Amino acid sequence: MTDAITVNGAKTGGAEISLANILWGTPVRAKLFAGLMILAVWQVGVALFAANFVAKPLNIIQVFPKVLADPAFQDAAISTLTAVFQGLAIALVAGTIVGVAMGRLKVFDRALNFYVNGFYTLPMIALLPLITIWFGYGADARLATIIFAGFFSIVINARDGARSVPPEYLEVCKAYRAPARYVWFDITVFSSLPYLIAGIRLAAGRALVGAVIAEFFVSLEGVGMYVLAHARSFKHNEAVVGVLALVAFGLLFELTINWVMRRYFPWYRREGRGE
Amino acid sequence: MNKVISLVNSDRTLVRWSTVIISLLLGAAIWEAVGMSFNQAFMAPLIGNEEHPGTLPRLYVYFFDDEEYLLSLVQSIQLFSTGFVLALLVAIPMGIVMARLITLRIALENYILALYVTPMIALIPFILSILGFDFWPKVLVVFLFAFFPILYNTLEGARSVKPELIEVARSFRSSELAIWRDILIPYTLPYALTGIRQASGRALVGMVAAEFFLSTSGLGEELITASRNFDMAGVLATILVITGLGITFMRIAQAVEKKYSAWRGVDR
Repeated sequence: MTDAITVNGAKTGGAEISLANILWGTPVRAKLFAGLMILAVWQVGVALFAANFVAKPLNIIQVFPKVLADPAFQDAAISTLTAVFQGLAIALVAGTIVGVAMGRLKVFDRALNFYVNGFYTLPMIALLPLITIWFGYGADARLATIIFAGFFSIVINARDGARSVPPEYLEVCKAYRAPARYVWFDITVFSSLPYLIAGIRLAAGRALVGAVIAEFFVSLEGVGMYVLAHARSFKHNEAVVGVLALVAFGLLFELTINWVMRRYFPWYRREGRGE
Repeated sequence: MNKVISLVNSDRTLVRWSTVIISLLLGAAIWEAVGMSFNQAFMAPLIGNEEHPGTLPRLYVYFFDDEEYLLSLVQSIQLFSTGFVLALLVAIPMGIVMARLITLRIALENYILALYVTPMIALIPFILSILGFDFWPKVLVVFLFAFFPILYNTLEGARSVKPELIEVARSFRSSELAIWRDILIPYTLPYALTGIRQASGRALVGMVAAEFFLSTSGLGEELITASRNFDMAGVLATILVITGLGITFMRIAQAVEKKYSAWRGVDR
């Protein structure tokens, strides 16, 4: 993001040559300077006041390539990502069906609204003990957590999307006696697409968190467990790389969705409901 | 057939209410039937009998006949509110200061966004091994979960403050205090409240996570103990209590947000 806003010194034409202007004269410089300051404070602060094992930026950079090349880490990343994608796919299909039904047919909306809102507010972490009893201490528990984490945000957004179908379109369909499949696939699905995308975004974030929580709780192979195991054995630098990987997954997903939207659906500008 | 469909979809009060009531009763009946037909270590019914302890009777016992449980509830609420209030006290002033100091805002906003999207749950192992098992590490977890949604949204508000307003205020020689009181706070507060609503949900997750993974206490401890004893009635009842807490916090935040949302975009 490049803000066009001029920052204090640059406002006067950028001709000033002062220390402040060199350091934070433009937005990019200001951001870089702040980033370096944060890293420097982190490095020095930890070196001075914290125990030896606490992560420091320089050490993280040192271990970074090692961790990425580590087969254990790669397996963990693949395991977590596969589970998240599987879970999201299931949540997406099931959630869209339920959500669209709720949006189009008032019976379903009235009957299910209470349950959907209730489960959506329910913090998924509280369900973990229950999920482990039902699905055992294994990968199934993680998958169930991910589906649960993603499902309800997709339902809510799919419902809002299906409700937002312009009634004129439906009237035209009715007037021309269009078959039901046109009404569903050509109109309802397409006009609720932006909401669905918003739902997937939200669900992806929650699903990733759900995967990590489940791995913590069940001690299952994955990035969450990688972080936990290394933090416990006081290898914080490696553990921080795991956290960075989680952030990277989230950002990568976001970027992919943005790219797909711009590439294939450039006419969509509307946004669905956020968190 | 079509008549039936249009009847159940109609907006008549009777139809509306009966759909909701039938659906709730059906849900309760399914819960009860599933609970009665499974082993009591696997699922507990809603009401239950001698053999299958029910969830609602357990809830009653928890609230009216179990002082320890109430103590746990109070403990959890204490943890939540300490962390949440601290997050409020730090995040909102920080956001408003950044509305005033534009350079600072531009310098920091990307880093704040990055931390906003970081799954805070992944930081719990670090907090555990650096700070240990006390009350305050748990407060830190709740704080971290709540802090970034509030700060991020307040920052969004800070971005919405028009520089012209501050320039006009300056040229009329208004005092710094007046700028804060009449421009910065009215502009950023509604956004901050959106953040507070988001944060109330996240902080609840933080609360339970802290009670699970740091020293167990409060409702988290009750939940873990019940699940280790395969006491499903206890597990389900505690889940209901936590959901109730979540809904209460959310409702309060929503009410406050609604009250001040009229301030947003006054001159758009």
